[in-house]
Amino acid sequence: MDALARAAEWFIGLFIQGGQTFTGLVTGIIPLLIVLMTFVNALITLIGPDKINAMGKTAAKEGILYYPIRYMIFPFLAVFFLTNPMAYTMGRFLPEKYKPAFYDSAVSMVHPPLGVFPHVNPGEYFVWAGIANGVTEAGYNIGDLAVRYLLVGFVVILLRGIVTERISFIMWRREDKDEAAA
Amino acid sequence: MKGINKILESIGRGVGKVVGAMYQAGRESIDQVITNVLPFMAFISLIIGIILATGIGDWIANTLSPLAASLLGLIVLSVIIAIPVLSPLLGPGAVIAQIIGTLLGTQFATGAIPARFALPALFAINPQVGCDFIPVGLALGEAEPETVEIGVPAVLFSRFVTGPISVVLAWLASIGMYQ
Repeated sequence: MDALARAAEWFIGLFIQGGQTFTGLVTGIIPLLIVLMTFVNALITLIGPDKINAMGKTAAKEGILYYPIRYMIFPFLAVFFLTNPMAYTMGRFLPEKYKPAFYDSAVSMVHPPLGVFPHVNPGEYFVWAGIANGVTEAGYNIGDLAVRYLLVGFVVILLRGIVTERISFIMWRREDKDEAAA
Repeated sequence: MKGINKILESIGRGVGKVVGAMYQAGRESIDQVITNVLPFMAFISLIIGIILATGIGDWIANTLSPLAASLLGLIVLSVIIAIPVLSPLLGPGAVIAQIIGTLLGTQFATGAIPARFALPALFAINPQVGCDFIPVGLALGEAEPETVEIGVPAVLFSRFVTGPISVVLAWLASIGMYQ
């Protein structure tokens, strides 16, 4: 009987701990998340997300000057205004040859802003919050981490855009050659 | 009189638009929290609770944390996740990234992994982002089927290169933080 009682206590103990974690997450994260998301969602409605359509033309231009626009600013604005997954529809403003690289760039931007702009992808919030929570519990301020995550994110999406563009160009060339040979 | 009426009307219309947008935004936020965020929090809490209560946490702290608490370990983690065959399998819903992130989070909380590795860790758990979604994502961008054929392998190979590089970049960018 005693052993049974102890087993039951241990079993419930698993979930008491989980419940405490849940309370901590709900009271610690949800209120801020709701208010912040409300603000940004309202802002997006008032600005009008279709404003970024015009930017697609600029992003499609050739030349090294347009890389940061195509693989840094345009994907960020797409993700910011349209959020995951509608951001990828912005690829339609680009020529076919840039589409894989743009997708890579845009999809890599759906997590780095989460510390500052959680509205972009609330369903995958814990990619950021899992680690951020631990850092908070260790007694650190996460503002610095949130900003650096976003800034490094910008550098990484530019890099991904350029690398993926190169790789896809090489693959296209190879395919053309194969077709010519066949 | 007519002028005043006009002003009042435009003020009223403006206020109505702003209030309407805010109210709608609030509704959207609540919907998203209830349908997307809260269920995941319940799931994460269950995992954390079990980890903390059963002592799996101590095991992780002893075996995996030393790996995650070094630049090399994080690079290895990112390379494994970015393997072109694995990355599409690890992608869906970012569930794996969120679980690994939460596991690492418990170790950051206890100090088993120093906080200065938080930024590189954020990139190390995520080189597979969107790898499961490439054909759909390209289709949303109205890409031709031929583009999808090239795009899928191009992105997967690219990640294998840019995944580890992003960890190094993040490590460089975190110099001076949480010392």
